[in-house]
Amino acid sequence: MKRNFKLNYQMMTTNKIFQILFFGFLTVLVVSCKPGKDNPGTEYAPNMYHAVSYEPLTQITEKDAGAWVSSDEDEYGEYYNSNPNNPFGMTMREPAKNTVPRNENGMLPYRLPKDSVELAARTLKNPLPDTKEILEEGKVLYTKYCTHCHGENGGGSMDETAKVGKVYQGVPSYSAGATSQLSEGHIFHVITHGIRRMGAHGSQVQQEDRWKIVRYVQTLQKQD
Amino acid sequence: MSLKTYITRLSFIAFLLVSFLSLPNSAFAQADELPTSEEAIANGEKLFKNNCAVCHQVQNKMVGPALKNVYERRELPWLLNFIKNSQKVIQGGDEYAVNLYNEYGKAVMPNFDYFADEEIKSILGYIKYQTENPPQEATADAGGAATEAGDGGGGIPSEYLTLIIVGFVIVLILILVVLVLIVTVLTKFINQKEDIDERDREFVNQKLNLNKLVRSNGFLFFVILIFTAVVAKTVIDGLYTVGVQQGYQPTQPIAFSHEIHAGQYEIDCQYCHTGVMNSKSANIPSANICMNCHTAIKTESKEIAKIYKAIDYDAETGEYGDNVKPIEWVRVHNLPDLAYFNHSQHVNVGEIECQTCHGPIEEMAVVKQWSTLTMGWCINCHRETKVNAKGNAYYDQLVEAHDGGDLKVVDIGGLECAKCHY
Repeated sequence: MKRNFKLNYQMMTTNKIFQILFFGFLTVLVVSCKPGKDNPGTEYAPNMYHAVSYEPLTQITEKDAGAWVSSDEDEYGEYYNSNPNNPFGMTMREPAKNTVPRNENGMLPYRLPKDSVELAARTLKNPLPDTKEILEEGKVLYTKYCTHCHGENGGGSMDETAKVGKVYQGVPSYSAGATSQLSEGHIFHVITHGIRRMGAHGSQVQQEDRWKIVRYVQTLQKQD
Repeated sequence: MSLKTYITRLSFIAFLLVSFLSLPNSAFAQADELPTSEEAIANGEKLFKNNCAVCHQVQNKMVGPALKNVYERRELPWLLNFIKNSQKVIQGGDEYAVNLYNEYGKAVMPNFDYFADEEIKSILGYIKYQTENPPQEATADAGGAATEAGDGGGGIPSEYLTLIIVGFVIVLILILVVLVLIVTVLTKFINQKEDIDERDREFVNQKLNLNKLVRSNGFLFFVILIFTAVVAKTVIDGLYTVGVQQGYQPTQPIAFSHEIHAGQYEIDCQYCHTGVMNSKSANIPSANICMNCHTAIKTESKEIAKIYKAIDYDAETGEYGDNVKPIEWVRVHNLPDLAYFNHSQHVNVGEIECQTCHGPIEEMAVVKQWSTLTMGWCINCHRETKVNAKGNAYYDQLVEAHDGGDLKVVDIGGLECAKCHY
């Protein structure tokens, strides 16, 4: 009876050990597939996730990354996609100097330098017509690019809706004092290059969109 | 040099000296020149609020210095000149003005040359009134009221919930103890009785035989069934996560928080991700977009210092150097090359909210991949989403062909293989 029990006990322990090992193996297998904090997880067909072509927003700088799936004969791993001819091996480049991007409406880039705000204020005219559609588009763009500092009604730091403007401070109201008299050229120039504490938004907002915003800001200037 | 010119020069120097020494006196004296009438002060208040209050407070420093006592600190002509054209005074080399300019981070004060002297004086009159009669602190009360109002909403707090559950568990344990006690008492009572059947006595006194139960065939079958089911489920689930990066939350080189920017300050996604309306990718914002605010906000933060370092910006002097290097953000969402996805198509034309695919980004301190980005997930959305055909003449005939009913993405080829795979 006693011997029998002992045998049984031994059998149980080996069984248990196998079970634990099996479960452990499974857990490791599953955990290694699953993405986690810094781990993107196992990839199916990994050379599809790491583009061979130059992609704008990914860059793998290790030369032997993905060597284990490499199918071509160059010295680099499959995942390596940096451009050694560019600064920092980046795949993005700035446009070539002295070139101009084409656009639908044939607008040429705005070229007045930052310090020519007075010239801009005197001479620039809005190329877009004063229509309801333009005004509506301008309002949408204004809400996206300007509201957090200037407020929904252009009240600046005093505007309740200007969440950033309140913290940033020093954002003037469009409709108060001299600001309400500023010309469309001035507004356009300031959006493009910034003024005083305001940063330059020319790289974020396209030229046509800036003129649309100007149309809308002018309606905010006129309010009481 | 003749005696006459010598005397003239000497007297001129003496005059300068005297006028210089008497400066503080005249500065104090000019406080009386400022208007004190109620009308002038009210007018000054209006002008101050419309033109000055954006950057200046009377009691506290803001963008510009606190204006308390300003009429005692500087003389009236200096103030008039500075308010009308501050840059002219600074460029003229006035020491006080230059120091002020440097102290306040070279922030340029706009010109107020359209103000009449009387208007500026009425503003100064308002400042004088405010200096002498500082307003009572009303902000503290307002703050308290706001927090109280904030606590009012919501259901049962979570700590109460835990307490309730603990209470339930205690009650259940008590019931169990009482039941066990009753069983013991009953067993004892029956055992004390002499006149019961032997079989009944055995039934009453039987013990639960665990060993026997564990070895029974039924139990073994049950255990093996559960075990196999669990293993099968884990393996299948595990296989489904291959190639699905949902939940990937990489540590970024700069601890940028969408929770603060998009959540707390409600900055529109598109303010930074400018490509989303007209390009395949939404774009990672360039550092100049960060610098639109961070030339002035949180300039002392360690994380912001990393931006400054990347673009070689000196926060002290406000100047940019040439030693720039890219910030190496880690890409979170990555579709394999076999699938084509275009942001502008979805956001601009389809008018899909960012959150539909990216989840509540405005609550994420560290961004993680919210959706699975699997083909099934794409297809599902294409089956369910209505085409935004309103006011778009392009779709008129199609809508007609569908008898004016719902036009889903699937109806305009949303399930065609070659739409995304080519």
